[in-house]
Amino acid sequence: MGNDIARQFAHLPTEVAAQAVARHIETFWDPRMRRALEALVAEHDDSLDPLLVDAVGRLAKHAARSTPDAQP
Amino acid sequence: MTLQSIWDPEVDFGTPAVQAVDTVSVTIDGHQVDVPAGTSVLRAATEAGVTIPKLCATDSLKAFGSCRMCLVEVDGARGVPASCTTPCSDGMVVSTQTDTVRDLRRNVMELYLSDHPEDCDGCARGNCEIQALAVQVDAAEVRYGRPETRADVAHPQPIDLSNPYFAFDDSACIVCSRCVRACADIQGTFALTVEGRGFDSKISAGGTDFMSSECVSCGACVQACPTSALQEKSIVSLGMPTRSVETTCAYCGVGCSFRAEVQGDGDDSRVVRMIPSKNGGANEGHSCVKGRFAYGYAAHKDRQLSPMVRDTIDDEWRKVSWDEAIAKAADGFKALQAEHGVGAIGGISSSRCTNEEVYVVQKMVRAAFGNNNIDTCARVCHSPTGYGLKQTLGTSAGTQDFRSVEATDVILLIGANPTDAHPVFASRMKRRLRAGAQLIVADPRRIDLVRSPHVEAAFHLPVLPGSNVAFVNAMTHVIVTEGLHDLEFVRERCEDAEDYLAFIADPSNSPEATAEATGIDPDQLRAAARLYATGGNAAIYYGLGVTEHSQGSTMVMGMANLAMVTGNLGHNGVGVNPLRGQNNVQGSNDMGSFPHEFPGNRHISDEGARDIYQQLWGRTLDPDPGLRIPNMFDAALGGTFRGLYIQGEDIAQSDPNTQHVEAALRAMDLVVVQDLFLNETARFAHVFLPGTSFLEKDGTFTNAERRINRVRPVFASKVGMDEWEITCAIGRAMGYEDMSYGSASEIMDEVAATTPTFAGVSFARLDEVGSMQWPVFDTTSTGTPIMHVGGFVRGKGKLIETVYVPTTERSTRKYPLILTTGRILSQYNVGAQTRRTANNTWHPEDILEIHPADAEMRGISTGDLVDLSSRVGSTTLRASVSERMPAGVVYTTFHHPVTGANVVTTENSDWATNCPEYKVTAVEVGVANARGDAAIAETRAPADMHA
Repeated sequence: MGNDIARQFAHLPTEVAAQAVARHIETFWDPRMRRALEALVAEHDDSLDPLLVDAVGRLAKHAARSTPDAQP
Repeated sequence: MTLQSIWDPEVDFGTPAVQAVDTVSVTIDGHQVDVPAGTSVLRAATEAGVTIPKLCATDSLKAFGSCRMCLVEVDGARGVPASCTTPCSDGMVVSTQTDTVRDLRRNVMELYLSDHPEDCDGCARGNCEIQALAVQVDAAEVRYGRPETRADVAHPQPIDLSNPYFAFDDSACIVCSRCVRACADIQGTFALTVEGRGFDSKISAGGTDFMSSECVSCGACVQACPTSALQEKSIVSLGMPTRSVETTCAYCGVGCSFRAEVQGDGDDSRVVRMIPSKNGGANEGHSCVKGRFAYGYAAHKDRQLSPMVRDTIDDEWRKVSWDEAIAKAADGFKALQAEHGVGAIGGISSSRCTNEEVYVVQKMVRAAFGNNNIDTCARVCHSPTGYGLKQTLGTSAGTQDFRSVEATDVILLIGANPTDAHPVFASRMKRRLRAGAQLIVADPRRIDLVRSPHVEAAFHLPVLPGSNVAFVNAMTHVIVTEGLHDLEFVRERCEDAEDYLAFIADPSNSPEATAEATGIDPDQLRAAARLYATGGNAAIYYGLGVTEHSQGSTMVMGMANLAMVTGNLGHNGVGVNPLRGQNNVQGSNDMGSFPHEFPGNRHISDEGARDIYQQLWGRTLDPDPGLRIPNMFDAALGGTFRGLYIQGEDIAQSDPNTQHVEAALRAMDLVVVQDLFLNETARFAHVFLPGTSFLEKDGTFTNAERRINRVRPVFASKVGMDEWEITCAIGRAMGYEDMSYGSASEIMDEVAATTPTFAGVSFARLDEVGSMQWPVFDTTSTGTPIMHVGGFVRGKGKLIETVYVPTTERSTRKYPLILTTGRILSQYNVGAQTRRTANNTWHPEDILEIHPADAEMRGISTGDLVDLSSRVGSTTLRASVSERMPAGVVYTTFHHPVTGANVVTTENSDWATNCPEYKVTAVEVGVANARGDAAIAETRAPADMHA
């Protein structure tokens, strides 16, 4: 599921894309799903899209949301 | 609860209302009346309280002027004109009861009566206007004699009883052509005609019986018939109604208004028939076979009326009191939270329930459960609409009212089959097409609208499943690169235009570059794009063929882009318009049924919105999103999600990858199902709470055009409680006391007090004005038929780059075909309602449509039982070889649990919303073996059919 999201933003510059993926996950994902994804990243699961991995690293930086959603 | 106690048929004004700025003043039998210019004398008279006899005229049809009953005299004019075809002019003086016209009417009436049987049962019952009219025009004696019985008429015919819902008795027919005109002008099917000439002329369903004809059983002919020649079988068997209640249909997202005509009061009440309301904003007097006739499920013997519990899903159900059932549910949920955490339970609300019912479910989850694990069946249909339109335009809803299509010049219909799934709107659409609008159909299947009587699409673009985004990008590419876009609109009203226009102009989005993906001839696509951009007002209508894809949300944004770059938003006749699947999909979206949104589509991280509810509900609310339905299944299998309350949704049949869903349900410790029937999901339930049918509900539904309609109870709840009361009782039993309301209207008052877009909505106001389309920002407003006038809800419309990303679900050597799914006219969704009616007559089983080349290659003929298999499962159903399908694509419906079409659909879903990708599944099809034949024959016991 995370890979699907990453594929939608892959056309954007990496920095913009990673932030967008992170914000989408924060906006729509239950915390336990986020934790599960973070665990996969921690395990270096190589099935994960690198953009998704990059985005997961930014999740904590988006703790305070101010807008409903990121733009693809 | 108020039950209307008087049967009061709607007044028939004889001819349609005229919309005109100028008015004229006429005097009719001494009564002066002002009417819009162009109004007929017949209608003006009726408005003035003067009754003019009529037979061929009715206010749902243009004047015909054939029966010669409505003759009048006009001062200063020669002759006796028919009042139905005579427009009023200023100062006109009309007399309706002169000796001359009375004599003429009596003479004409005698001619009618000379072939109308004295034993006409409709006349005796009061369902045939002939006898009453004969008395009215003083034609009691017939100089030419009158047939005593129906066998004595000039051309006696057997009564046509072939249709399960209505009968045609030719002996009572006066050949006024109202039925023929209704079928043509209102429904647009043209199934009826007048055969023969003069005294030999008769109404014919194309030379065959009604059931074998093109008739779609919409009921328009029955409603139009002034005699009992066409009448509901229920009227024959039960008699005439004694009271009526105005309410809203419980089927599709068109949300038709009906008068439920009823006999009796209290527990003995029974519906005699459903008559579409002329004042219904969505349907304006029209109906389809489901809403008009398929209401019998509410009284079906399968209906469950008692709460039931059991300890394990292998135990027998045990009927218990409401208190015991509610306690078991509440105690069980509390115990699960105590052991597994607050987030271990959740709820699913239903788009078949009222706004008030779904509002209290999300309130129970957020305030009593203490989490945001609330989702709704809109997840599996139109959640991408909510996402895509909110991102681009700022609001999660369609932009127009249905009436807007009357000002449309080019209709772009994508992934929708309105004649089957939204038939009443389809009739409105066909009227506009017959009047000259052009149609572009983008659909892999050759749906009826591609070519049907007096309607032919300018283009049918058979876009391959999964390639919608490539298609819509190519459309916009043509428009932008050929300079056909509305640059002024884009500059003034949109943002990110420069980046978007550069993106869409890239050659990779051209029709030629995308042709391999879309399967569409580039020249055809270019021509269609030019028509959309230059043909006048262009409107997009779409359905689940858009949303139920891995890029469903992207496609919605792509369509919004297309509308924005051509300036086709913000006025009449244009827009981006989702055709919602269920009656209250829009409403369940609006009422906070998604795990990330409060009512009014406000994100739960919005502190202002959260504070409103925290203060009102007295609970601290979770600012993090909860689980969506597919996430609930995954979490259940992962062990973190243990209990689920399911209101009126059959997830075991409707959701994709049935094996996965069933495994998740089995993994839960407590499943509570609230439904009319023991559905497929109830096989996995521990508590069953009987629900109420729409005939028992008090509340509101919101249709696809954001129209909030009242749902009024025809009789009291047959299960002893209203559904919102049941939900509230569970919440209270879990320790959240602030879940008590005196009535459903108090729930709507709470919605209005907390949701800006509903601020001006109340039952009292709806009862006063009929219906309102949100936003209704205050009590001076009656709603907003067209959105984004002068500016978008989000300010500037956002043009978003919609890159085409192919689905990962692709045909392979093992699964070389692509399956796509849909609906058929007579059935509805999982069939829980329609399968328990005589609608099964038309569609008793799901059928697999397959192209002749694909069929021949596999040795398949029409009628063969075939195995349909995908990487997740297989099922068996009957095949129909059809050129409606393109080669490589097969199609079926999902109405019957025996077939279980979702056994083969996969867990692929829309990237943004998790809406399942029902429309793309790689499959293989083969002739079923003998074992398969035997298995399916065994499961296909004759269906129960109750009207």
